[in-house]
Amino acid sequence: MSIIEARKASFSYGELKVLENIDLKVEEGEIFCLFGPNGCGKTTFIQCLLGILKTSSGTIRLRGRDIRGMKTAEIARELAYIPQVHEKPFPYKVMDVVLMGRVSYTGLFSLPKKEDRKTAEEALKRVGMLAFKDKPYTQLSGGETQLVMVARALAQQTPVLVMDEPTAHLDFRNELVFLETIVRLVKDTKITVVMATHFPNHAFYFENSNIASRVALMNERMFYAQGSPDDVLTERNMYDIFRIKSKLISHKWEEGSLKQILPIKTYV
Amino acid sequence: MTAVGLVAAPFLLMFVSLFIGRYPLSMGEVLSVLGTKAGLPGPSPLTIHMNVVWDIRLPRAILGALVGGSLAVSGAAFQGLFRNPLVSSGVLGVSAGAGFGASLAIILFGSDTFYVYVFAFCFGILAVVLSYVIGTNYTSTPTIMLVLGGVVVSSIFSSLVSLLKYIADPYEQLPSIVFWLMGSMASARFKDIAISAIPMGVGMAGLVAMRWRLNILSMDDREAQALGVNVIFVKGLAILFATLATAGAVCVSGVIGWVGLVVPHMGRMLVGNDNTVLVPTSLSIGAGYLIIVDNVARTLTGSEIPLGILTSIIGAPFFVYLLKKTKGRGW
Repeated sequence: MSIIEARKASFSYGELKVLENIDLKVEEGEIFCLFGPNGCGKTTFIQCLLGILKTSSGTIRLRGRDIRGMKTAEIARELAYIPQVHEKPFPYKVMDVVLMGRVSYTGLFSLPKKEDRKTAEEALKRVGMLAFKDKPYTQLSGGETQLVMVARALAQQTPVLVMDEPTAHLDFRNELVFLETIVRLVKDTKITVVMATHFPNHAFYFENSNIASRVALMNERMFYAQGSPDDVLTERNMYDIFRIKSKLISHKWEEGSLKQILPIKTYV
Repeated sequence: MTAVGLVAAPFLLMFVSLFIGRYPLSMGEVLSVLGTKAGLPGPSPLTIHMNVVWDIRLPRAILGALVGGSLAVSGAAFQGLFRNPLVSSGVLGVSAGAGFGASLAIILFGSDTFYVYVFAFCFGILAVVLSYVIGTNYTSTPTIMLVLGGVVVSSIFSSLVSLLKYIADPYEQLPSIVFWLMGSMASARFKDIAISAIPMGVGMAGLVAMRWRLNILSMDDREAQALGVNVIFVKGLAILFATLATAGAVCVSGVIGWVGLVVPHMGRMLVGNDNTVLVPTSLSIGAGYLIIVDNVARTLTGSEIPLGILTSIIGAPFFVYLLKKTKGRGW
């Protein structure tokens, strides 16, 4: 049984169709990248997965259960969400933020318990941020904040992490720190990742790191292609979707093979 | 330790305020009233002493604690809910609505407190309902829409209050309206407390009970939903509790500014922003603070000074001190 399965999932805002007939299966332990131009529907699809938006037709199943029959808290025990950029409303302590990941396990009128604190601490440790636990998180850098968001998601103890362009605001090094953290998590815990991204090389990075990874190339409300990075992120597809000339580069070295696709120039 | 202090402080202040007032009573005379009320043997005190301590000072102290606590807790809750440290307990229009209700009652029925309470309470609730309806978009309640709803509703009711002031009888009704709008607990009797304590108590208890959820509601709606909180329901519940508390407070005490805005910030500076600690702390500070202010209001001069005037004059220096000392704590 697939961990996530969408069948003919469609969504529209009134008359405006945003998603049409999306079919996908995400298997346990893989990284599934959603890749496509701005406005193609990636974020909408992620919100449908999370149950924030309701599909207008078709079904989405999480470990076999139809998402429409699930309560908000039940979905939150299957999927944890890491936003593109997190707005910090108050200078909460890092620990307070990570503890929020435990809310789906507690009643409306209850407080976090000792075990919840323990889980939150372990999550912080996993992303290497335990030393920051009593700091106001408004003082963290963008990269550190994103790691705290990962910790909060881990505290939800879900089988799946869902991320929406999580590295969009990170610098060159922090992007890599983030990707390394995800790779380590997938290897250590068999967690499954669904990630919307604007960087095709993220998919290659995961493949280069020997993690089962697949890509869905989205364009205008639909999946244009779906499969391994090699099959989907081709020079031909880059031209068809983005109207760009690109070059796929493959390099063999002592640690295995290294693939990247480089943008060369745009066509009108 | 801190928890004990937080609970004890308002009660201690309530006790102390029994000894404070313009009617000269010695400590012994106050204690003798308390002793008699507690059923202890001893000479029975004068009736006037009984009245001053038991029917005036005590209910005012209790009401002060309830009103201060309600305004502060709902202010803290709204600041979290709206992800905005600049909103107060009146953000959804409850104060403006209550002000209109009270003014209307004064014009229609004179200063009979019962009608003033009922009208103030009902119009306070009505204002919030209107703001909520305006702020609801399809099936969500975006923060900015709610705030704008509150702004619109508040300004409508403020204009209506001005209209009522304009047509009110300038010798009888106008002074009553103006005085009510400045806030006072001069009319506090046990009967009043008994009625208004229900919404205030339910509202405060509800917000204290769900205080951890306020942390999550202060996240972006999508994030809160993904964390497992049914945002519309829980947000609506928090608004309901905060509105009950504020409407209950405003209807007996009139419009008292500052407490619902600044007391939560005093709390933030003292204990941080985590609502699990901040909400009870705000309750305690708000309760204690209004007891102190009310003591000043009834002792400083021969006639009562409206609370709305004093809350900021007394609180501002302390707030500035905290602001400088903690450097705003992470803002």
